[in-house]
Amino acid sequence: MSDRYNSQKVMQHYLSALLTDDEVQPSIVRQEPEVKQKLESLLARVTTTKVAAEPVPVVAKEPKPSVPPKLDSAELQQSVVSRKSQPGFTADNVSAEKAYRKGDFQALFFSVAGLTVALPLKELGGIHKLTAVNTMPGKPAWFKGVMLQREQKINVVDTGLWVMPEKFDRQQAESHQYQYVIMLSNTAWGLACDKLINTVTLSQDEVKWRENSGKRPWLAGLIKQHMCALLDVDALINLLKQGQSSNEH
Amino acid sequence: MSNVANQSAKSSDSGDEVLQWVTFKLQDETYGINVMQVQEVLRYTEIAPVPGSPDYVMGIINLRGNVVTVIDTRTRFGLDGAEVTDNSRIVIIEADKQVIGILVDSVAEVVYLKASEIDTAPNVGNDESAKFIQGVTNRDGELLILVDLNKLLTDEEWDEISAL
Repeated sequence: MSDRYNSQKVMQHYLSALLTDDEVQPSIVRQEPEVKQKLESLLARVTTTKVAAEPVPVVAKEPKPSVPPKLDSAELQQSVVSRKSQPGFTADNVSAEKAYRKGDFQALFFSVAGLTVALPLKELGGIHKLTAVNTMPGKPAWFKGVMLQREQKINVVDTGLWVMPEKFDRQQAESHQYQYVIMLSNTAWGLACDKLINTVTLSQDEVKWRENSGKRPWLAGLIKQHMCALLDVDALINLLKQGQSSNEH
Repeated sequence: MSNVANQSAKSSDSGDEVLQWVTFKLQDETYGINVMQVQEVLRYTEIAPVPGSPDYVMGIINLRGNVVTVIDTRTRFGLDGAEVTDNSRIVIIEADKQVIGILVDSVAEVVYLKASEIDTAPNVGNDESAKFIQGVTNRDGELLILVDLNKLLTDEEWDEISAL
């Protein structure tokens, strides 16, 4: 119960921080109570509103229009794990025009320390069960270590520490038990996460897109209905490659 | 991860020279150092502290009449200290034209690695200890972290050691 409360609190704080970012219009800043009320009403909808998403083709499940398409973690892992990462990939080569910025697209929802995060399915490199991670000297706290997956060496990111270092301290990180690693595109970088939630088809209107990268280039936008962050995977990869955490630019 | 064969191997036509590495343990990880830089491996012997020396210096030992400075490898690698055990070893190495000792938890074996099997470590972290990681390799399902001994200390620190 308290875990759930804490999770909700973390999420609320986090979303609140995102929504009151530098993008916020001055007039909105002046109407802070109104914004807060609106946010609270949106957050209330997160827990009660049913996801009216189309069934996802990747997951061979019966369509349930009024219920979020639940996804069996093992099934999802099986369905996507075969997309092996290519070591030579560089995110810089990716076209600035994202494939998911046209028409409907699918997003994978996952949770990290109570925070729900999504990334476009097209930019998912694979999902692995988190196994032993080898720590390396001199790396930032958010760099969890290197995980061996067959011939692949995966750079595992402590997502909690990377995304919200101010709320998820090192002590919490050490005791936190992540379950999966979500591979970013075709790179060797992977985000540690607690739980795979589901995949949902989203339309462009369902996302409040960030028009300029600003302070958080890794944030593509906010998914309005679910009030969660949608990752800009290419930008995230670039930051990770430069050894930068979410608040270091 | 890109290949770093050129950094760790002498040039060869194939670019896939086989290299020998001495592996040792520190905490839960296995590290490798170029066998060409290892002079000998000693059982733990009493290390005499040197007053006013930097924190990464454990002290000195007398090796057949020569004074050898011993580095606290755990401190250097940013790890917690540990008790000396029967497995602890002092590895005498030559780096930056100096002979020093590094204290390790245990010495494991000598392994052969093809240069092409060595990958670069992720280039993140500004810490000094991040700079001496030469590469990584998957050795029988276990990650082996290869250390560039010449970068174990900075130029100033090498000078400091020689002045001890």
